[in-house]
Amino acid sequence: MDYFKEFFKGVWQKNPILVLGIGMCPTLAVTTSASNAIWMTIATTFVLLGSNILVSAIRTIVPSHVRIPIFITIIASFVIIVELTLKAFQPDVYKALGIFIPLIVVNCIILGRAEEFASKNSVLSSILDALGMGLGFGLTLFILATIREVLGANKLFGYVLIPGMKPAILMILAPGAFFTLGLLLWAMNVIKSRKALFKRTE
Amino acid sequence: MKPADIVKATIIISVIGFISAFSLSFMKKITQEPIAKQEQEKKLAALALVLPGYTVQQEKTVTIDDSPFTYWIATKEENRIVKKAWAFLAEKKGYGGPVQSIVGVDESNTILGFTILSQNETPGLGARCVEVASNETFVDHFITKNLTSKEEVSWFQEQFIGLNASKPIAIHKKGDWHKEMKDELIQHNAVTAITGATITTKAVTQSIEEGIQKLHKALTLQEVQ
Amino acid sequence: MEIKILFTILISTIFINNYVLSRILGLCPYLGVSKKLDSAIGMGLAVIFVMTMASFFTFIIYKFVLIPFHIEYLRTIAFIIVIASLVQLVEMVIEKISPALYQALGIFLPLITTNCAVLGVAVLNIESGFITQEFGLLNSVVQGFGAGVGFTLALLLMAGIRERLEIAMVPENLKGLPITFITAGLMAMAFLGFSGMKIF
Repeated sequence: MDYFKEFFKGVWQKNPILVLGIGMCPTLAVTTSASNAIWMTIATTFVLLGSNILVSAIRTIVPSHVRIPIFITIIASFVIIVELTLKAFQPDVYKALGIFIPLIVVNCIILGRAEEFASKNSVLSSILDALGMGLGFGLTLFILATIREVLGANKLFGYVLIPGMKPAILMILAPGAFFTLGLLLWAMNVIKSRKALFKRTE
Repeated sequence: MKPADIVKATIIISVIGFISAFSLSFMKKITQEPIAKQEQEKKLAALALVLPGYTVQQEKTVTIDDSPFTYWIATKEENRIVKKAWAFLAEKKGYGGPVQSIVGVDESNTILGFTILSQNETPGLGARCVEVASNETFVDHFITKNLTSKEEVSWFQEQFIGLNASKPIAIHKKGDWHKEMKDELIQHNAVTAITGATITTKAVTQSIEEGIQKLHKALTLQEVQ
Repeated sequence: MEIKILFTILISTIFINNYVLSRILGLCPYLGVSKKLDSAIGMGLAVIFVMTMASFFTFIIYKFVLIPFHIEYLRTIAFIIVIASLVQLVEMVIEKISPALYQALGIFLPLITTNCAVLGVAVLNIESGFITQEFGLLNSVVQGFGAGVGFTLALLLMAGIRERLEIAMVPENLKGLPITFITAGLMAMAFLGFSGMKIF
């Protein structure tokens, strides 16, 4: 049982957004500022961790044909816990993330990992998987958010970077989201094909 | 599917449902107080902002034109005279839903303060109505630790101060507000719209005009009582 | 007056605040199904149906069950259950009516449940304050319908473009998702032109 691999695969090999191509919705909408990205990661990872643990724990007693409604109930419960907690203790974050907090329940990453991994593996592996996925998700989100916030609002974490400079507002709006992710995916492809090229010429 | 399977599935789903319901009610219980406290603090902070220098005496909710209208009565003592001021909730549908704000007016219907409580407008356009021109730079905050203690105010909301609420508020399109525009705008009892978000601006001005009329009706009702 | 409001809601959900190109919701199926025009049309229609019905049922449940019992915080779980059931229903209906379409849509049909746009429009109906308004239910249903139409519009446009991208000379590393996202970004830019549009 290669624990390190289970954890790390979520960051690079099986990065949910860049490789598996799931969990895009919150990615693009929430990366308007670095702090939003971080809070969203924390919220999503919490739900992912909770659901992976529970789904893995009950995997032997859950009948196959009703597993999806059960998974959704578990995930939705954790999302409501996160909703209430944020509303009570971090109201500014709650307001900033808006409708994307309840939308965590339909984040393909969580249901996807529950279905594909947690329901077939031990609790410990599921925990590692969740943490790894969460980290991969978070890093991607953070990179996207930093690019967008710096170029689109001339700020980082809400603090102005270059005083007096007017930023490219487009980056903060929807098109900027699409462009940034598209270019990031392109960069990933370039890295991958370079690696493949080196491997072939060895 | 065998009957045994159906029973097993039902039991499992029910158990999970119960556990979920219990844990959620528990969460609700422990978060209820902090949430209520937040909203109370937010309201008090907004009132303090729109009624600078005044002490809120009373909060009243009456029905005007078939809908509830909330307003606050505040007083302050100046040169031994008690001056009155009022704050009221103004609400009007903007682009993406109701834009809610609190407006503070004094006895001559001059706007003392204005703050937007909630809005659902388009980011980058209408949502700029709550945009704060924060000037604290990254370098300042983290590196040189040169912390500016400037009060962060939204230019859109600040420009309403000093206008006469009982007269129609005109909308000019002059781009972002600067202090230099103030005199001309006050002369015309106008505000400058957010570029590309005239609808949001209009919703706000209309909510103030409608709000002040309701306030006058409510005050006459109050006197009659 | 009400007609004006309904018209405004339609225009704003289809063009101005398009759910895919402006609110960035519903991306997963958007990227997955927009490869061919036919499956795009089928998916679009299914989504319009689910969104409209979901808006109807979630509104009613919120107003007549969640509010009276003061359990508004259970909104997320109640809504997702309604949506999951509706999708199950649509799946069964499509399987009966058109097995070919059922095959073509494949995994993406049950995936409408996790379509952020469907849950998104249900939540947005509540956030838009329709609950306390006069024609609240009608407004919500129209908003759901409009959101679906907007989604379908974006989907069809993307499918049309992607079919041509297949035979265009795209650089190797840009093929697939990267060029799709950049295309979506350009479309989003075009739709930005609708914002600030004065309707009445």
